[in-house]
Amino acid sequence: MKDSNSETIDFGYKKVAKGEKQGLVANVFNSVAKKYDVMNDVMSFGIHRLWKRYTIDCSGVRSGMKVLDIAGGTGDLTEQFSRRVGPTGEVVLADINNAMLEVGRDKLRNRGIVGNVRYVQANAEELPFADNSFDIITIAFGLRNVTEKQKALESMLRVLKPGGRLLVLEFSKPVLPVLSSAYDFYSFNVLPQMGRMVAGDAESYQYLAESIRMHPDQETLKGMMETAGYEQVTFTNLTGGIVALHRGFKF
Amino acid sequence: MLWTVLPTSAIEALLNQLLALDSASRSRLQKLQGKRLRVTLGELGKPLTLTATDQQLLLSWVDQEPVDCHIITRLAVLPELRDSANITRLIKADALDIEGDPMLAQAFSKLIADLDIDWPEQLSQRIGDVPAQFVVQAWQRSQRWLNQRREDQQQWLRDVLIEEQRLAPGQHEFAEFTENVQALRARVDRIEFELKERQRGQ
Repeated sequence: MKDSNSETIDFGYKKVAKGEKQGLVANVFNSVAKKYDVMNDVMSFGIHRLWKRYTIDCSGVRSGMKVLDIAGGTGDLTEQFSRRVGPTGEVVLADINNAMLEVGRDKLRNRGIVGNVRYVQANAEELPFADNSFDIITIAFGLRNVTEKQKALESMLRVLKPGGRLLVLEFSKPVLPVLSSAYDFYSFNVLPQMGRMVAGDAESYQYLAESIRMHPDQETLKGMMETAGYEQVTFTNLTGGIVALHRGFKF
Repeated sequence: MLWTVLPTSAIEALLNQLLALDSASRSRLQKLQGKRLRVTLGELGKPLTLTATDQQLLLSWVDQEPVDCHIITRLAVLPELRDSANITRLIKADALDIEGDPMLAQAFSKLIADLDIDWPEQLSQRIGDVPAQFVVQAWQRSQRWLNQRREDQQQWLRDVLIEEQRLAPGQHEFAEFTENVQALRARVDRIEFELKERQRGQ
């Protein structure tokens, strides 16, 4: 086995040892967990709700299904899935970060989402579930922070039921050059300032902007999903490619 | 993306707010739980999918999964669907296509049509009994006033058109004219008949 500390991987624009990334990402999310929801609304002007809603509408979720929401954080997708799968289904909210999981759990319980939701602290690269156990797996704005993305995609394929689908909602590359430069200005100049003002933490939001740039673009991620073994992989650009929704099936 | 998700989410939120105002909605929804209806209107192009859960009605323009009932029609035909007697006629006229259970569509529309919201009660829960009473009375007064104004306006318009400017005929004038036309038609028919008789006689 290779020594994971000898290889490097990107953490935003910085190169860090593979073994370190997980801890560094954890620091970011420990820092932003409490303000995560309000920051999402402020940064995306509320559009993240529409991206998530689009994901739900594409998921084909039915009552009685088993859904895994990886990197589910504060539970936005879990909440909607829970209403849709009903009492006979189950939603598992998994996140590697306990602080985020706590915020999600409190939020959902306060909203009366109980009974069909389970909370699991798990690493997406090594999901602690049996093979073929979920009808739908979603990972929204989470894959970017995973150290070994390919390994995570393979792990998800393993726990997906045959006929099930994976939905990856993640920041991507804007299609139009004009939009791209406006978006760059926004990400590197406005975003960290907003982070400082609202969450009192500019660095974490600097990381957010950088990690988005380092994330594979639409075609690359599609290729990665195909390599992992997903079939009929397609993607849809949302808001001009700022975000893309990738879909893949397991047969 | 914005325009495929935003309108449906907004309408869905509004619809569920309305449904929540009538306590009987819950039991109506439970009967429909898990049922899915899709409506494709020629004018819109995109099919709209409705899903009932035990608590909410969900709307989507994106959803392409199988449904229990699919209605394909045009916007203008929708009001006619209320009466189930029309369905066969519309299908034969190619104005309507239904795949799946047609009763389901009616059950969905009943969900909205049977909404019985006690507005004064809802208002009094929010602002208190006495202010609600004032608001309701003011509303009824303004309704009466509006109706009165509308009638006055109509009367005035009638007078101007018929009596003063003589642009349109009055009721009696019109009746007399119609009678004259009928009498004329009868005479023409008689003459035509006589003419044919003579032609045959020649």
